[in-house]
Amino acid sequence: MSAMSLRSLNLPGVGTKYEFETDKGDTVAIFFTKTGTIQMYTLQKGCNTPSAAEMTPVEARRLGNILTGAIIEADQESVEIAFSALADLRVTIHSFLIPKAITGRTIEDLQIRAKTGATVIAVCRHDRNIINPPPSFIFETGDAALVIGETDQIKKFEREITVD
Amino acid sequence: MEGIVLALFLCLILALISKYLSVPAIPFYILAGILLGKAGLGLVTSDEISHFFSQMGLIFLLFFMGLGLKTERIVANRSAVFTSGIIDLNVNMIIGFVAAYILGFSINESVIVASAFYISSTAMAITSLVENRKLMLREAETVVWLMVFEDLILIIFLALISAGNQNLIIFLLKILGVLAVLYALALYGKEFLISILDREDELPILFTFAAVLTTASFSMYLGIPETMMVIALGVAFATTDPDAFEQHARPFKDVFLVVFFVFFGVTIDFSGGVNWYMITVICLLAIVSKLISGVITGLLMHGSALSGLEIWGNTIARGEFSIAIAVLYGSPLVGTTIAAMVVVTSIIGSFTAKYSSTIRRGILNLGRKKSPPHRVHTGR
Repeated sequence: MSAMSLRSLNLPGVGTKYEFETDKGDTVAIFFTKTGTIQMYTLQKGCNTPSAAEMTPVEARRLGNILTGAIIEADQESVEIAFSALADLRVTIHSFLIPKAITGRTIEDLQIRAKTGATVIAVCRHDRNIINPPPSFIFETGDAALVIGETDQIKKFEREITVD
Repeated sequence: MEGIVLALFLCLILALISKYLSVPAIPFYILAGILLGKAGLGLVTSDEISHFFSQMGLIFLLFFMGLGLKTERIVANRSAVFTSGIIDLNVNMIIGFVAAYILGFSINESVIVASAFYISSTAMAITSLVENRKLMLREAETVVWLMVFEDLILIIFLALISAGNQNLIIFLLKILGVLAVLYALALYGKEFLISILDREDELPILFTFAAVLTTASFSMYLGIPETMMVIALGVAFATTDPDAFEQHARPFKDVFLVVFFVFFGVTIDFSGGVNWYMITVICLLAIVSKLISGVITGLLMHGSALSGLEIWGNTIARGEFSIAIAVLYGSPLVGTTIAAMVVVTSIIGSFTAKYSSTIRRGILNLGRKKSPPHRVHTGR
């Protein structure tokens, strides 16, 4: 079987249901309920009672990231996007917690672009996002940086910039 | 005014407790009303303000119901909607009517009791499916469509009963006229409506409130049931952006509906005597008759009586619509009976919904012990 059949259904008062059967005959169903939560059910082939998990939208997105094959570490996650129309261009976006060793230093004096090739596209500080921080941007403890680049460049960033 | 504040405060505490225990809050609101009102301590009496608030609660409940009725979806699922719906309607209406009549209600009162007896609580059924993680069960879909069918019957019921002794033709013409206006508004004013709903200021919520109120008061002025017309308004608006309307109507519905429930309790009067025998019989039958209709539906739709048990567990609770019928058309005695039925069935229903799979497993195990293995139904 090549394409799995995805069934979607709108249940009045409940929300939207997506259901599909895997090649091995297990069933997975996802419900986006009107209350804003997401419920995921899995039913093993030959079983009668499904097991369920209820998630907030944030948790569901996280699960989605895991399922698409991205790496997730404690507070750091990454998403790889492939653009098939652009000669299969693959870009990875990864979030890093800024270690103590580089707090107080700027993007410019860390030579992030020259050393790794990756670019810091956003920094999250006290729940506020700073998009496109300038080269003079100074990192503080507790910052989380969002870095974009190819997989190798991200690895380099991890090795050379975020080491304590 | 102090009465409403006191009632709302008590309801707030009860709502917190009921959410904590994850049981439905409606029976507690009614009991709070009974405790505070005529039948209890007499601390709260209904006045013009509480009456207006209650009316708002009812109107917004029905508008909300209309928003959920998407006609094309019902047509697409008509076999699912109608098979289970007609069984549910016939079994429960007949049992409810016969029981009420034998217990001494007049024919008119028996029709009111039977309708309240028939109609399950959509809110409680859906909440129990979501909270007990039952959405994936095939019975869940059946339950959802059953609730939709009951909504349709309620609309017909509202129209029939309020036609009363008016000139039927003029009455129908008035209704059709208003319906035509509503649909023309939704059809030709669709872009205008959506542009209003998209705004970030107070306009969307003000518009929603005004549209519902205008429809209700205009219907009253014309002498046609405002209850039915606000449902129609909901159905018409559902063709534009139902989610936005739900979002803007929800705060009104949530607050006014609590006032509606608690003041329904306040107006309950035991002074005319309470027939506990009658109340007990109606409450027991309310549970048994949903079992009968559930099992028949389970057998016909899913080929399994145990499926019926699952449907039963989630549809026992009577709630908001039963009370609406009692408030609109019930005499004091009918009101007391329906109040008791709602309180009892909604509390029992919350347990059957929670433990239906345990009950099912218990019956399966029992069946295994008694009968030879090859006869055992393993179907869900």
